[in-house]
Amino acid sequence: MSETEQVGDPAGLIEAYYDAGWTDGLPVVPPSDASVAAMLASAGVEADEVVGEIHGRNAVVTGESLAINAVMAGCRPEYAPVVVAAVKSLCHPDFAYHGPASSTGGSAMVLIVSGPIARELEVNSGHNAFGQGHRANATIGRAVRLIMMNALNTKPGFLDRATFGNPGKYTFCFAEREDTPWEPFHVSRGFRADESTLTLYASNSLCQVYNQLAATPEAILLCYADALYNLGSPNVYGFNQSLVVMGFEHADVMRASGWSRRDVQAFLVQHCRRRVADLKRAARLPGELVAEDETTWRHGFESPDDLLIVCAGGAGSWSAVLPGWGKKWTRAITTRI
Amino acid sequence: MKIFDPTSRRTGPATLQLAPRPASLQGLRLGLVDNRKINAAAILEKVADRLAARHGTRVTVRDVKRSPSHEIDAKAIAALKRDADLVISGVGD
Repeated sequence: MSETEQVGDPAGLIEAYYDAGWTDGLPVVPPSDASVAAMLASAGVEADEVVGEIHGRNAVVTGESLAINAVMAGCRPEYAPVVVAAVKSLCHPDFAYHGPASSTGGSAMVLIVSGPIARELEVNSGHNAFGQGHRANATIGRAVRLIMMNALNTKPGFLDRATFGNPGKYTFCFAEREDTPWEPFHVSRGFRADESTLTLYASNSLCQVYNQLAATPEAILLCYADALYNLGSPNVYGFNQSLVVMGFEHADVMRASGWSRRDVQAFLVQHCRRRVADLKRAARLPGELVAEDETTWRHGFESPDDLLIVCAGGAGSWSAVLPGWGKKWTRAITTRI
Repeated sequence: MKIFDPTSRRTGPATLQLAPRPASLQGLRLGLVDNRKINAAAILEKVADRLAARHGTRVTVRDVKRSPSHEIDAKAIAALKRDADLVISGVGD
């Protein structure tokens, strides 16, 4: 193991992790030989095994560092396979770690748990799915950020250059609801319904969308489209993937109207757009305003596949849109747990 | 009680060997790595023009990364090591 010194007082032990620069600002759970061994055993990896690597940074996540950070985050041992899947997603070449981890955009690493394991581990998919109060949600997401900071050296002010960051950088993990109108999210990404998966997605921000009057899909989805393409959106030259988390009251409207997930995606591709004139007035596009700019539209998405649609949340006429980081520079990665 | 180090002690070298610094820019072979940020290509070409005018450099390798977020690929690194004395990259926005 990698102990560096002996400390007696438990409170002093927590302070020692602060002093070493190994926390996210909140106190960590001091690991022990037993807790690290239990985490490793549940993860199914060896201590010196490389679970993931960021080649360009000469940085790796070993089984040992994964286990220590997961204990520090407060994970139960049975959460470890989810953390392993998250690290594999994080280090996948198509995720392209450098940008989402270091950009001024300060993206949160959004973790979506799908399949039977969500229920087994009690990963919250319902009321307050993005909020506090559920250990699995809170600690799995926190473990991933601690691994980024400690094992992958992505610390604020150093290789994390976020202008603001966002609260989701502490932790952002939720599960998909099981009562969706469509096939489960992970099935739409090529997995079997009885498999469990972790999808990692880099998001700049979260915008809640409210509509309690609409009885048709179009009315609801126009609100999503508007929220996804505001004038300050970073990627007016072409969005990356974006995540829509649909609350079940809105999902019920889709179901009642017979709209498929594909219908929702296609509608958003068509309607997520701004006039070139709007973008030029706001200096988001260069050039002098010309007459045809008033009738020329710039679309945010090229393909229905650019929109990831997941159902979660509790009662209430809310959904959420989470614009993606980058301009086709990263992709959401789904890994089997 | 003991403290556990949560960092991964890397298996590779802790420090990298830098290429020798050129004593002069005169007549050097130049590599340009466009990271695909907005205006990066334009700025690189302008810098290359200035260096050519002042120091007689010539561009021998041009690489365009998949995106700013992706690593430069091994083939491009090999070409830069083989065919360039000086490499310029940078963000243009």
